[in-house]
Amino acid sequence: MSVTPLRIFMTGVGGQGTLTATTLLAKAALLRGLPVTSGEIHGMAQRGGVVESTLLIGLKSPKIGPGEADVLMGFEPLETLRALIYLKPGGAVFSSTESTPPLSVSTGQATCPGLVDVEGRVAEVAGITGWYPCQSLGLQAGAAQAGNIALLGAVAASGVLPFGPDAVAEAITANMKPKIAAINLKALELGVEAAKA
Amino acid sequence: MSNPLIAGKAGETHLLLGNEAIVRGAVEAGVQFVSCYPGTPSSEVPDTFFRLSPEADYYFEYSTNEKVALEASAGAALGGARALCTMKHVGVNVAADPLMTLSYTGVPGALVLLSADDPGCHSSQNEQDNRYFARLGGLPVFEPASAQECKDMTRTAMALSDELDGPVLLRTTTRVNHLRGPVTLADAEKAPAPAGFQKDPSKYVPIPAFARPMHLRLLERMQRAMELAETSEYNTVTGSGTVGVVASGISRAYLSDALTLSGLGDKVKVLELGFTYPLPEQLVLSFMKGLTKVLVVEELEPLLENDLRVLVQTTGLDIEIFGKNTLPRYGEFTVGMVEDALRSVLGEAPAVRPVNPPEEGLPMRPPNLCAGCPHRASYLTTRKVFGDEAIYSSDIGCYTLGILPPLKSADLLVCMGSSISAGSGLSKATGQTVVAFLGDSTFFHSGMTGLANAVYNQHDILVVILDNKTTAMTGHQPHPGVEKSIMGDNESRVIIEDVVRGLGVTEIRKVNPLNQKKFTAAVEELKAKSGVRVLIAEEPCPLFARRAYGKKPQVTAYVTPEYDMSEGVMERVACPAFYQDDDCRLAVNELLCAGCMLCVQQSDNIKSKKKGDK
Repeated sequence: MSVTPLRIFMTGVGGQGTLTATTLLAKAALLRGLPVTSGEIHGMAQRGGVVESTLLIGLKSPKIGPGEADVLMGFEPLETLRALIYLKPGGAVFSSTESTPPLSVSTGQATCPGLVDVEGRVAEVAGITGWYPCQSLGLQAGAAQAGNIALLGAVAASGVLPFGPDAVAEAITANMKPKIAAINLKALELGVEAAKA
Repeated sequence: MSNPLIAGKAGETHLLLGNEAIVRGAVEAGVQFVSCYPGTPSSEVPDTFFRLSPEADYYFEYSTNEKVALEASAGAALGGARALCTMKHVGVNVAADPLMTLSYTGVPGALVLLSADDPGCHSSQNEQDNRYFARLGGLPVFEPASAQECKDMTRTAMALSDELDGPVLLRTTTRVNHLRGPVTLADAEKAPAPAGFQKDPSKYVPIPAFARPMHLRLLERMQRAMELAETSEYNTVTGSGTVGVVASGISRAYLSDALTLSGLGDKVKVLELGFTYPLPEQLVLSFMKGLTKVLVVEELEPLLENDLRVLVQTTGLDIEIFGKNTLPRYGEFTVGMVEDALRSVLGEAPAVRPVNPPEEGLPMRPPNLCAGCPHRASYLTTRKVFGDEAIYSSDIGCYTLGILPPLKSADLLVCMGSSISAGSGLSKATGQTVVAFLGDSTFFHSGMTGLANAVYNQHDILVVILDNKTTAMTGHQPHPGVEKSIMGDNESRVIIEDVVRGLGVTEIRKVNPLNQKKFTAAVEELKAKSGVRVLIAEEPCPLFARRAYGKKPQVTAYVTPEYDMSEGVMERVACPAFYQDDDCRLAVNELLCAGCMLCVQQSDNIKSKKKGDK
């Protein structure tokens, strides 16, 4: 099957559900019959460190090198900025606006760039950008962790993926317990609406 | 609901993690015995076997270390069972002793050893290339590059071991263990019950007189393995031209993508090796016919490259071999690196690949001991009593994170269990004060032998066993000392204190480190003594306690207005639940606070309250 290759790099903070979101997106792609590979880095990353994952359509390598990602999804703005090196210049960036500062920042021993600076820096190199208050959207849907799914909704609604939010919704329904699925479907919808707003 | 890894039918397609696909491959091969010691990136293999064991037919165990795990699987396979043994790459060092001789004795059943290597050191102390072990011991090797191959090759490796009556190595790398992809299932085989051990000392007892013919039989077995590799479905030739590329393992994925994205696919001839050792020499020679240049794409060591160089030299071919002169001998590859190596061999300029400059000066986000982690309390107190002069001999587990300031409780580390033995040697040679820290699982893995050695050789060392009642770092696996696992109570518990006493230690204290007063007193008391002293710092990992004990934090710490920032609790304790509020004052995030009350014991101005109270 000939498919236009697409590489998505995802980044977030341990415990945010970055890997859950990655797997869900991979399942959505598989539901649409697309050749999909995803990759993730575990281990030390889980103790509050950075969690990075990848999703590739039409390609086999689970790893994305600098300048190779068509799409960058950041579940935390500082991590979006840190991962910008992976974005192909002119690529698409979708990110949460809501920060989870590292311990050094939250305890006042270091500073971290503000959202305006992050958005400015991203705008310099990205062709498409989308910024969403993901945790708030998640909370609105019923759980802060569902914020990731809101970001998936926004990305799927933007048209950069070879499938729409309907495929993500199907993957949620097929893979989650009804109660949790309901929250995530709501978050997905909020993300889709946010992207259209 | 039955899990597709156990109950799945032929033709079903599921999105699986590489490690889950290995489980399914073993199930399809009719695996009967599984043993392991967990370790990233291998851990999801045993953890999945463990989780699914109630609905499956195989026997599963977490063994105390990799040597024990391999010996247990070896025993099963010697009795005719189909066995799988799993570990991370450095675990194979621990298991190397049985491994080197198992290939001599062979196994009448089947035995597959999974070695999960870690190029790039994502979660390991080194990036050793375990394909060397296959050459050292004489084991055929499979190296998958996709989730589908993880399943298929595990199954094939088991069948090959069965056919050859020798152990087979399934070698993965982090990216393969932790990729996800669609896997189409086949039906699971039902293996016949193990035939039982058939006595034949000439085959199974390698005394020198028997070992010599065993070595000859091993060489014959490897010759047969090579013949099978010649026609293996995992070794394929595609494309045409005078420039060839040979790739193995995950490098095959990088190569495939590089060819897809660069448009160079019609300029090269490709040999993909999945059954990588012994090298199928006839296949390689027929592939090299008409080639002038060959690029070998393999991460880490130049093993295939050197094999090819030998082949070219012995057959007198005029072919230029490229490998580690074009691609690095360390770390992981990327698609871009492989594409550029290919272009350089083809005589083309490297691709122009604009990259955004890295963002400078961003605050790092290192992994950290969790809020409520009892190790923080152990480190804080021990350092308070012993200060900067003592040498802190660390070990492998979550507690290695004590390396970070302000705790700075890891000065040296070699490998699992080294805290006691390396610490003993250091103290003997230099007279320096040494405190060793190791976890409960590590104690059972290889701390016990070091402790017996310290007692016997009269070393001077304080050993702090950080007993958090689980193997926390790798995902809360049980070990002999645990009270509980996610599957329920441990009915055959081995008590650490009894073991320590049994090994001859007389100065033993067991204290909960979250009780700072008692813990400090114990550390001070043991500091005043000499010889081998053991302090067992006992308190469950809070993440595990939540899962296995159903223990949820009821209380939270809060900072009163009387707290003075000069008290320095924030800097000294560095709990992830701390933050500075808008007035630059210390505050506690109630959602993150695990209620350990360590900070409350550091200042009269930090107090506790019920969660949710104003």
